[in-house]
Amino acid sequence: MNAIEANGLTRYYGSLCAVDHLDLAVNNEIFALLGPNGSGKTTTVLMLTTLLHITEGTASVCGFDVLTQGSEVRRRLSYVPQDMAVDIKLTGRENVLFFAHLYGIPRPRDKTDEVLAVMDLSDRADDLIRTYSGGMRRRLELAQALVHEPAVLFLDEPTIGLDVAARRKIWEHIGKLRKSGMTIFVTTHYMDEADQYCDRVGIISKGRTVATGTPGELKARLMKDIIMVTVAGPFAAPDVPGVALLTQSGDGATFTAENGKEALPLLLNALARNGTNVRSVSLREPTLDDVFLHAVGTPDDSGAFDYQRFRTMLRRRK
Amino acid sequence: MNGIWYYVERDMVKWVRGRVAVISMLVMPAAWLLFVGLALPVRFTDNYIDFITPGILVMTILASSLNGGALLMFDKILGFLNKFLALPTPRESILFGKIAFITIRSVIQATIILAIALLIGATLRSPVQYALTYLILILFGILFSAFATTLALYVGDHDSYAAVNTMISMPLFFTSSALMPYDVMPPWLRAIAVANPLSYAIDAVRAVNAGTVPAIQIAALTGLGIVVLLLCTRIFRRMTV
Repeated sequence: MNAIEANGLTRYYGSLCAVDHLDLAVNNEIFALLGPNGSGKTTTVLMLTTLLHITEGTASVCGFDVLTQGSEVRRRLSYVPQDMAVDIKLTGRENVLFFAHLYGIPRPRDKTDEVLAVMDLSDRADDLIRTYSGGMRRRLELAQALVHEPAVLFLDEPTIGLDVAARRKIWEHIGKLRKSGMTIFVTTHYMDEADQYCDRVGIISKGRTVATGTPGELKARLMKDIIMVTVAGPFAAPDVPGVALLTQSGDGATFTAENGKEALPLLLNALARNGTNVRSVSLREPTLDDVFLHAVGTPDDSGAFDYQRFRTMLRRRK
Repeated sequence: MNGIWYYVERDMVKWVRGRVAVISMLVMPAAWLLFVGLALPVRFTDNYIDFITPGILVMTILASSLNGGALLMFDKILGFLNKFLALPTPRESILFGKIAFITIRSVIQATIILAIALLIGATLRSPVQYALTYLILILFGILFSAFATTLALYVGDHDSYAAVNTMISMPLFFTSSALMPYDVMPPWLRAIAVANPLSYAIDAVRAVNAGTVPAIQIAALTGLGIVVLLLCTRIFRRMTV
């Protein structure tokens, strides 16, 4: 039995399809749902946490159906939305104790002390939240979520708006939770974080999964190395065996190559023959960003922005 | 439904720590009591304070309830509601906790107004009178806090709700029996005042003052309260999946 399972999960907001027949199987891992803004990440989380009706398809958490066994599902999960909702007029301890009471756990005070210690907040526990930094507030939300020892933890954009040090700390904590056997489902649009800290990622675009696997597998699916070239003047893509054009912008292009070191001189020669004036060139290993761009493609900006539809979507999501 | 108390406790602590809000909401009814209650030259009674106090008490509850209606809407806007809805605690306890808190808060405020009224000359004697007055105020508080909470949740944003709030509070107050008895009202106002739920509560408190038990009004407030609570629970369930 998988901790999280979804089959053909679909959600419409009016005529707008936010999530389109999504399949998921997540168990004992940190799974990241990656996607651009508006790709359906939050909608997916809301459905899995029983906060939004499913239009079509099924989903289960710990074997319980999210539609028909909602209260069983909620007993087993914790959900931290991206809004950073902690009461600023309450102290850290009061915020956590409030959740401990709502969960109805035995010995709520001891458990509160314990999770505050786990999140490194013990020494500031009795300060009002208004004095907490963004990173501390996020850790406090994690403490609230941990107080009933959930089997599955849903985190919607856990590091959004935090500085680099705070982000690393949040991920270290998430990693520790994973080691204790928790299944963690994260949404993010920070590729580097997913690459570094997650066991498996699913890339979604326009509500559909376009790639799933470990960050390594996904990167391996692209060829080995990435070559970036900036040019001055006209650019014509050359035809070199073992090298493929990945993306192209105004004054540069990105290629992938099976073996970058060998392909590099060939590519430069071919470019020179084409009459392209190369200004700089660099060779690097692929990142999840490249995988993402490859899978999702350049953002589609051709359709007119439908403001009314966008508003409807935002409103329904709340 | 053991979650209700914890939701009430949260709001209570936040309210008390807000300091300014604790006092500011009392200014309006206190001003009415002092400046209208003591100063208005009326001819139909020789103790206008005694006449107007029930109206001001009910007004305090009304203003406090309508004000509190925004609380659940803010919880929704700020993301708290989604966190609460994802808890195994029964979801209705969020709504009932909010209604309970708003009612308790409004009754505390009404108590302070009542104390001021007694200081400046209103009269209320037996413990039974106090108990009945409080019963009426609590019933009225539940009725309007349930109504306001659901209305705000339905309206969705605080600008619109503030507009709706001003739109209904003053007309409701002026078309009730708060300021004058039915027999000095023009007939058109009397017709509206008789149907106004504020009048039920005000007339009931006046009847208690006069030494009778207003069974009909109490029954009407209870009945109306139950209907509104059931309706609000249904709407709340529908709006939160």
